Amino acid sequence: MNTDLHIILLAIPLLPLFGAVLAGLFGRQIGRAGAHWITILAVAGSLLLSLYVFKLIVFDAMPAINTSIYTWAVTGGLKFEIGFLIDSLTVVMMTVVTFVSLMVHIYTIGYMHDDPGYQRFFSYIALFTFAMLMLVMSNNFLQLFFGWEAVGLVSYLLIGFWFKKESAIFANLKAFLVNRVGDFGFLLGIAAIVVSFGSLDYAEVFAVAPTAVDQTISVFPGVEWALLTFVCICLFIGAMGKSAQAPLHVWLPDSMEGPTPISALIHAATMVTAGIFMVARMSPLFELSEVALSFVLVIGAITALFMGLIGLVQNDIKRVIAYSTLSQLGYMTVALGASAYSAAIFHLMTHAFFKALLFLGAGSVIIALHHRQDMREMGGLRRVLPITFVTAWLGSLALMGVPLFSGFYSKDIIIEAVHLANRPGAGFAYWCVLLGVVVTAMYSLRLLFLTFHGEPRMEQSVREHAHEPGWVVTVPLILLAIPSVFIGYFSIEPMLFGGFFGDAIHVAAGNDVLAEIGSHFHGPLAMAVHALVTPVFWLVVLGSALAVAIWFWKPQLAVWCRQRFSPLVHVLDRKYWFDEIYQAMFARGSARLGNGLWRYGDIAVIDNLMVNGSATLVGWCAGLLRYLQSGYLYHYAFAMIVGLIMIIFTYIILA
Amino acid sequence: MTAIELVFYLFSTVLTLSALAVITVRNAVYAALFLVLAFFSSAAIWMLLEVEFLAITLVLVYVGAVMVLFLFVVMMLDMNSERVREGFARYLPVGILVALIMAGELMFVIWTKGAEKLPLPPGQSDAGANTALLGERLYTAYLYPFEIAAVILLVGIVAAIALTHTGRNPNTRYQDPSRQVSTRREDRVRIVSMPGAGSKSAEERS
Amino acid sequence: MTAADLMLALPEIFVLGMTCIIMLFGLWLPEERQGMISFVSIMTLVFAAIILLGWDDPDPAAVSFAFNATFVRDQMADVLKLSAFIVLAAILVYARQYLRVFKVAMLEYHVLSLFLLLGVMVLISAASMLTVYLGLELIALPSYALVALRRDDQRSTEAAMKYFVLGSLASGLLLYGLSMIYGVTGTLSLAQVANITAMGNNTVLVLGLIFVVIGIAFKLGVVPFHMWVPDVYHGAPAAVTALIGSLPKLAVFAMAIRLLSDGLGNMQMHWMSMLVVLATLSIVVGNLVAIAQSNLKRMLAYSTIGHMGFMLLGLLTGSDQGFSAAMFYAIVYAIMAAGAFGVMILLSQHGVEAEHLDDYKGLSKRSPWLALMMLMLMFSMAGVPVFAGFFAKWLVIQAVIDAGMIWLAILAVIFSVIGAFYYLRVVKLMYFDAPDKDDAISVPADFRAALTLNGSAQLLLGIFANILIGLCVASF
Repeated sequence: MNTDLHIILLAIPLLPLFGAVLAGLFGRQIGRAGAHWITILAVAGSLLLSLYVFKLIVFDAMPAINTSIYTWAVTGGLKFEIGFLIDSLTVVMMTVVTFVSLMVHIYTIGYMHDDPGYQRFFSYIALFTFAMLMLVMSNNFLQLFFGWEAVGLVSYLLIGFWFKKESAIFANLKAFLVNRVGDFGFLLGIAAIVVSFGSLDYAEVFAVAPTAVDQTISVFPGVEWALLTFVCICLFIGAMGKSAQAPLHVWLPDSMEGPTPISALIHAATMVTAGIFMVARMSPLFELSEVALSFVLVIGAITALFMGLIGLVQNDIKRVIAYSTLSQLGYMTVALGASAYSAAIFHLMTHAFFKALLFLGAGSVIIALHHRQDMREMGGLRRVLPITFVTAWLGSLALMGVPLFSGFYSKDIIIEAVHLANRPGAGFAYWCVLLGVVVTAMYSLRLLFLTFHGEPRMEQSVREHAHEPGWVVTVPLILLAIPSVFIGYFSIEPMLFGGFFGDAIHVAAGNDVLAEIGSHFHGPLAMAVHALVTPVFWLVVLGSALAVAIWFWKPQLAVWCRQRFSPLVHVLDRKYWFDEIYQAMFARGSARLGNGLWRYGDIAVIDNLMVNGSATLVGWCAGLLRYLQSGYLYHYAFAMIVGLIMIIFTYIILA
Repeated sequence: MTAIELVFYLFSTVLTLSALAVITVRNAVYAALFLVLAFFSSAAIWMLLEVEFLAITLVLVYVGAVMVLFLFVVMMLDMNSERVREGFARYLPVGILVALIMAGELMFVIWTKGAEKLPLPPGQSDAGANTALLGERLYTAYLYPFEIAAVILLVGIVAAIALTHTGRNPNTRYQDPSRQVSTRREDRVRIVSMPGAGSKSAEERS
Repeated sequence: MTAADLMLALPEIFVLGMTCIIMLFGLWLPEERQGMISFVSIMTLVFAAIILLGWDDPDPAAVSFAFNATFVRDQMADVLKLSAFIVLAAILVYARQYLRVFKVAMLEYHVLSLFLLLGVMVLISAASMLTVYLGLELIALPSYALVALRRDDQRSTEAAMKYFVLGSLASGLLLYGLSMIYGVTGTLSLAQVANITAMGNNTVLVLGLIFVVIGIAFKLGVVPFHMWVPDVYHGAPAAVTALIGSLPKLAVFAMAIRLLSDGLGNMQMHWMSMLVVLATLSIVVGNLVAIAQSNLKRMLAYSTIGHMGFMLLGLLTGSDQGFSAAMFYAIVYAIMAAGAFGVMILLSQHGVEAEHLDDYKGLSKRSPWLALMMLMLMFSMAGVPVFAGFFAKWLVIQAVIDAGMIWLAILAVIFSVIGAFYYLRVVKLMYFDAPDKDDAISVPADFRAALTLNGSAQLLLGIFANILIGLCVASF
C-alpha cells in the first residue's frame, strides 16, 4: 500500500481532532466564527477524503486495506496497535458519519447562535467525529474500545452540555451509568477474546475463531458455556448499551436533554449505530453462535415494537423522535439477528439520513418557537415553516416505509429477511416487526399532524415571532432530505444484492437469507410495485388511516381513545415502568446497598479499620519515620551504618 | 616473625591508635597532630609495600602542607571543644556498639573464610624506579581519569570561591594600577586662577 | 590514546571546553548582561547534542572503548547523555528567572551545573572502577556547592552540610567496596572484573559488592539510605532541587548497570536479593510517607524515593527486559521531575518558594495553562494510563512478573495505587479548590515553550511510547 493513502487515512480522523483541539483550547483566541469555520472545514475535508476512499474501494474495486499505522506497545506477545481496516463496510460508515456530522456542524451555527458555550460545542462535536471515525476505521479491539469509550465520553459531555439544567445532569448521569453496564459486558467480551485467542487484531481473531466452535469457558466454576456464545453475548451487551436496546434503552430518551444537533448527530445518526456496526463487523464471530444470534433477534424485536408504542403517547416532540429511533434501532438489531447484516447496515444508512433530518426539522421548530418542545402547544406551523414542513413530511414518509422512499427499501428487506429466517425467535420477531410498521406510521403522522396541521395552540406572542430560521438551518434540511428520499432506490441493488460488502461481512452458508431474497429481486421499481400486494404496505396504510382518523380528522377521537384504552395508555405513559423499576431496584437498591455497605463496610471496615486504621498506621509510621527523620546528621549517618551492618549480616554471616 | 612483619605491626598499631586518638582527644590541636602521626605511620606502611613515591608524597603534601594549613585554621578559629563534644557521652555507647559489630563482622569474614585468602599484592620488580613507572602509567594508561581528577580539583576551587566570595566590599581600600597609570593631569590638578580680591566672577569660579 | 579516542569523547571535551570558556568570559559580563550566560550554556547543550548525534558510527549498537578501556561509548550511553542534555536545557530555561529573583549567582549556577553534567557524562561512559568513582565525585562536588548556593539562607546551608557529610560517607563506602573488588580481581577494568568473577566466587567479593550496592543505594536515595533526600530537596533552592532531583538519577542508573551488570553480572544472585529488599522498602516508605507531607518539595522527595524503588524493580530482575524497563523509567522520571520542579520554580516569583501544597490551590483559575501542565506531570507520576509514567511502571512490573516475582509485582501495583493518591491531591487542589491569592503569573516566553514541551512530552512519550522503549530495548 502506498504511503499517500496512509496519509489520507490518517488525515480523515485527525482533521476533526485538529479542529476540536483548536476550537477547544484556543476558543477564546479564534472567536466564534473562527471556531465554526475551522471545525466545519476540518470535517468537510474529512468528508471529501472519505468520499475519495469510498470511490477507491467501491468503484475502483480496490481490495480491502488492513494496515497498522502505529504500534503503541508490545507486551508479552500482545500487540497494542493503532491501525485501519478499510473495506466496504467501513467506507459506508465513514461517509455517513462525516456527511451527517458536516450537516450538523452547519446547522449548529444557527441552533446554538446565542449560546455562550459556542466554541466548546463545536469542539465537542468535532471531537465526537474524530472518535467515531477511529471507532469505525479500527482494525483491532483496543482501538475499537478506545473509540467506543471516546464517543461515550463526548456523548455524556454533550447531554450535560447545559450543565445548569437539573434534568440535563440527571440524564447525563443516567446515560453514564447505563452505558457502564453495557461497557462492562463489552470489556468482558474483549477480555475473553484476548484470553482465548491471544490477539486484539480482528483478522487474527476471525481467522482462529472457527477452530474454537467447540471450546467452552467456565466463568463461574462448574458452569460451562460455549466460548463463542459467551463472547458474542458479552459483545452484544456492549452494543445494547450503546445502541440503546431494551432493557438498556432508558438513557436514550433522556439524552434529549442535550442540544438538538447532538440528538441528531449522536443519538440518532451515528453513535447509537455503533453497536449495530460493531455486530456487523463481528459477523464472523456471531455467525458461529446460533444462540447469540437468537438473543440478538429477540432483543431487537422487543425494542422495535414496544419502544415504538411508547412514541404514541409522548408529547415532547424530541422524545417522540427518540422513541422512534429506539424502534428503528430495534429493526436494525433484528436484521443482525436474522443474519442480514447488510440489511442492517443499509437501514442504518437510510435511517441516519432521515432521522437526522427529522431531528433537525424538530430543532427548526424548536428554534422557531423559542425552545418550546411540547407538541400540545404547537399546531398549524405549515404556513410559518414551509421548508421545515416539507422536509419533515419527506423524512416521515421515509421513516414510515412508503414505497419508493428510502426507508421502504431498507425496512421491507429486514421484514422479509426475518420472515425467511428460521432460527428460534424468528416467528416472534416477525410479528413484532410487522406490528411495528403500523405503530411507526401512527406516531410519525401524529407528530406531523400535531406540529404542522390543525389550529395553532401556542401563545399569541410566540406565534407572532415564529419564522423560518436562516439558511444554516434550512440548507442542511434540504441536503438531508435528498438522500432520505432517493438513496434507498439507488443503492438497494448494489448494496444488498451486488456483493457490495464482499468479505467485510461474513454470513454462514445456511444463514444467507438475503441471497434468497435477492433471487426474487427484479429492481427497485418492481419491488415498489410488488409491495402493493404485500401485508407490509397495507399495514402502513392501516396505520396511516388510524392516525389520520385519530389526530387529523377527528381530534376528539384521540381523547376518546385515551379514555377507552386508559390502562394501555397508562402503561405506555409510564414507559412500562422501566425507569421506576430501575430506580427501585438499582438506584434505590444500590442506594440501600450502598447505605448498608457504608454503615457496615465503610464505617466499620474502611473508615475505622482501613482509613482511620491506616491513618493511624500511617500516622504511627510517619511518627516513627519522623523520629528517624530528625534532621540530625548523625542520626542519618547512624541509619546508614545500621543498614550496612544489617546487609552484611544477612548476606555474609547468614549466607 | 620477620623484621618486616615486626615493622608492619608496629606502624599498624601506631596508625590505629593515633586514628582513634584523632576522634577522642579533647583538644583540637592535639587531634590534628594525631592525624599527622596517622599519616606518617601509613606512609611508613606504604614504604613497606615499596611504593616510595606515594609514601613521600603523603608526607610532603598531607603532613607538610595540608595539615599545617589545618593546624593554622584550628588555632585561628577559637573552637569551643565543649560544645562540639555535646552529647558525645550519650552517643558513645551506641557508637562503640556499632563500631564493634562492624569490626566483628569484618573480622568474621576474614577469619572464617580463611580458605579464600586474598592474594598478596605483587612486589615491585627491579625493572625501574617506582616514580618513573607511576609517571608513565599516569600520563598514558590513566590519562582520562587523571584529567577528570584535574577537573574535580577545578570544581573544588570554583565551589569554594562560589561559597565564600561575597563580591568586592565597597569599603575595602585597594589600589587599581591601571587607573593609577592612566590618570590624567586634569584629574589631579585643578588650576585655580586667583585674581585680585573683590572680583565677583572670581569668587564664583572658585 | 589515539585521535579516535578523542573523537569518541568529543561531547565530553566540548562540554568541558565550553564550561571553561563560560567561566572565564562570564566574569567580565556586566550585571545586566548575565542572561547571556544562560543562553550560551543552553547553546552548549544544543551543540553537545549535535556532536553526540553527529558522531558517525557505522553500527549504533556497537560498543567502543577508549583511553585504555576507561571510557566506553555504547547506545545506552548515547541515549542517556542525550536525555541529560534535554533535561538540563529545560532546567536552565526554568532557572533563569528564579536566579534573578532570588539573587543567586548566575555564573556560578551555570558553571557548576555544566560541571555536574560533565560528571553525569563521565559516569554514564565509565568502563573502569576508577572512572565510576571519579564521575560520581564530579557529580557530587558541584551538587554540594549548588545546594549551598543561597549562602544567606540557613536551610540551604544546613542541607548542603548534611548532603556533604553523608555523601562523603557514601563515597567512602563505595570506594571501600571498589577497593575490595580491586583487591580480589587485581584490575580496575569492569570488563576484566567480569572475566575474573566468572571463574569463581569469593566472600570478599561479596563484601565489596555490598559496599558497592550501598553506594548506589545512597546516590539513588533508596531506603534506608534515603534520609538525606527530603532534607536536601527541601533545603536546596528550587532551581537546584530540579537539578539534583533529575540529572544524577540518569547517571546513577548507568552506574548501577556498569557496576552490577557489566562488572559484577556474575554475582547477580547476590545483588538481586539485596535490591529486592531496598526496592520493597523504598516503594513502601516513599509512597506512605509522601501522603503525610504538606510541603510539595518534601512530597516530591518522598515520591522520588518511591520512584527509585520502582526503577530498582527493573534493575533487580537482571534481565535485558528489566534493564531496558529501568532505563525507560529513569529517563521518564528525569523528565517528569524537571517539569514538576519547573512549575514550582515558576510559582516562586516573589522571593518566596512556592513549596506548600496550599500555594497550588485554584491554580487552574490563576493560570489554566500552568495547571494543565502540572496536571499532565502529576498524572504521569501517578501512572495514569496513556501518560509516559504509566508505561514506565507497566514495563517494570511486566519485567518483574516475567522474572517470576509475582508478589513483588502485586506490591508494586498496590503501592502505585496508594501513590496515585497524593499526586491526585495536587490535581484536586489545583482544579477544585478556591485560590488563596489571585495575582497573575507572568511567564517568560521561553519558559512557557519549555514547560509546554515538558508537560506534553508526558503525553507524547505515552502515545508514542514505543520509540523511546525501542531505544531502551536496543541498548541492551
